Amino acid sequence: MVEVELYGLPRLYAGGERCQVPAGTLREVLLAVEARFPGLAPAMLQGGAVTELVRVALDGREMIESADYPLGEGAVLVLVSAQAGG
Amino acid sequence: MGIFGRILKVRLAGDRLECEHVPLDPEVHRAFVGGVGLGAYLLWRFAPAGVDPLAPEAPLIIALAPLLGTPLTTTAKLAVVCKSPLTGRISDGLSSSSFALAAKRLGVDAIVIVGALDRLSTVHLNEELHRCRLEPAAALSGASPAEVGEAFAGAHVAAIGEAGERRVRFASLANDGRHAGRGGAGAILGAKQVKAITVRGDAIATVADGEAMRERARDLARRSRGAATDKYRRLGTVSNLETFDRLRILPARNFQAVSIGRKRARKLSPEGLGAQGGHVRAGCAGCTIGCDHRFGGTRLEYESLFALGPLCGVEAPELVLAAAAACDRLGLDTISTGGTIAFAMECAARGLVPWSLRFGDDLVPWIERIAAREGIGDRLAEGSRRLAASIGQGSERFACHVKGLELPGYEPRTMQTMALGLAVAARGADHNRSGAYQADLRPGVDRFAADLEETPPRVIETEDHAALLDSLILCKFLRGAIADPWVEGAELLAMAAGIDLSGAELRAAIRRIVGLRHLFNRREGWTIAEDTLPERFLSEPLEDGEVVSRELLQGMVAGYYRARGYGADGALGGAQLERLQLGRWLEMEP
Repeated sequence: MVEVELYGLPRLYAGGERCQVPAGTLREVLLAVEARFPGLAPAMLQGGAVTELVRVALDGREMIESADYPLGEGAVLVLVSAQAGG
Repeated sequence: MGIFGRILKVRLAGDRLECEHVPLDPEVHRAFVGGVGLGAYLLWRFAPAGVDPLAPEAPLIIALAPLLGTPLTTTAKLAVVCKSPLTGRISDGLSSSSFALAAKRLGVDAIVIVGALDRLSTVHLNEELHRCRLEPAAALSGASPAEVGEAFAGAHVAAIGEAGERRVRFASLANDGRHAGRGGAGAILGAKQVKAITVRGDAIATVADGEAMRERARDLARRSRGAATDKYRRLGTVSNLETFDRLRILPARNFQAVSIGRKRARKLSPEGLGAQGGHVRAGCAGCTIGCDHRFGGTRLEYESLFALGPLCGVEAPELVLAAAAACDRLGLDTISTGGTIAFAMECAARGLVPWSLRFGDDLVPWIERIAAREGIGDRLAEGSRRLAASIGQGSERFACHVKGLELPGYEPRTMQTMALGLAVAARGADHNRSGAYQADLRPGVDRFAADLEETPPRVIETEDHAALLDSLILCKFLRGAIADPWVEGAELLAMAAGIDLSGAELRAAIRRIVGLRHLFNRREGWTIAEDTLPERFLSEPLEDGEVVSRELLQGMVAGYYRARGYGADGALGGAQLERLQLGRWLEMEP
């Protein structure tokens, strides 16, 4: 399973803080997240991809976006707002 | 309203003021646009070389902008520009207010204040110069900016708090509850014995294309209410804290840590803060975004939250809110306040000073001592650089400032594009003139490892983008709603002020502004040795080993100047000045 954590806008739209979905490509994982939290579509997630309002950090570090990016068992995806200014 | 082609020069001396309109070169807005750009030009022109920022002859400039007064959303902003008493370098702070709108109705593009009074006074400025006058302000001594506003109910007021009167080097200038905070403009007004400024006028500058402007204003307002600004509207920037904690970006305990843990961060999230007496949203004058979030009645942004919270080891939301309210009341920049106190806390923890100051303490008594320059507060009022110099014992190593300006809430060791952005920023460690953190959080950018070739252009792009928005002036929170800022910026300038520039010409103007700010710093003693980070970031790895490579940073600084077309040592010679078309502007007499 892949652990998905939501912060900022993604959490607000989802109405939830975290979920677990089956491992797979980034697209497959995001489709599963979208199914778990329908409120994320279409502003945050669209068809297994993030919109320009969202960033995806693998294990809280590398920002990834490639649909084919493989996410193995135990991976942690952190979904955050794209806007960081303060 | 577009532009008026003149400034209001206010000369203070003893118990008198003289006001005059000074015409601007007709080309000045094409060359420097407005806002921070116009302010940089006026600072170069009116500040004597080498001037003490707190001396009477040092100017304080309130620069307005071509878009101010138009129906465009988020344009009710002004820039306060000066030679910083904290850094000795250029400083420009923005704030939004009805004061900005009213200042434009004086019929000028900027207000330049020079000289000093012999007693605390309020300066009343009027479109009709013979109505400009002084009013003794002894009764307002020690009053908060909000109290000053109440004393002049119905007027548009900018004021300093007690910290400005006491010349605290990071005192702010407040208007409508907003602060031009960074760099200590409030101390300059305090040195001039000016407690407050009011403005009154009815002037209206002609909009070049009123119909197009109205249509664009409706369109921009619509975009401003879209998903691109949702975060600011619905959560506020305070929502950064929990995210940054998770991404190990959040500075804690004077940059000794990058996380405070999920449970503690959650207490400082919008939800946690909202539990402290409610959560209300408001907005600046003329703004359709509405990012102003108040918790228990206190306005709070991420930078204030991080600086008065985790940076000082403070975890309780009520203590952070009380500290933020104290800074508002006393007129203090929250980042420098938190940064300086956090540094003092670490000095105390290391036994370098015998002060009863511990991480996690209630900050309010210390903030009050700083504003009053009482006891140890007098030393903290000088900022972390000067405080470190007076403490010595190697404390300079962990005094977290660049050029004397305390760092904002982005950890350079885990954001290495930002590390370069902080090092080279003209006004010192800064997140508003260098938005390099945006690059660090993009896919495809390794934020843990900078690159000699790729990092400098990323920093330049975000610096130029910020300088564009700060010169027009438009709120940076609109950036996600503007597809091409250069094209739309040029269109807006044409509609508002009849200034016809292509996107490329506008970009050249912004490069000129950046160049002039750099030249000002060079004139005031800047050397490339200033473009670095505190030793902590270069020699103390975080727990996962992240550190900023000293050699790489030096190489990137040189690469940054080369990419800007300057010498690798930051020198700007005749050929560069010609390319930037700066030469003629450097020769202007005051």
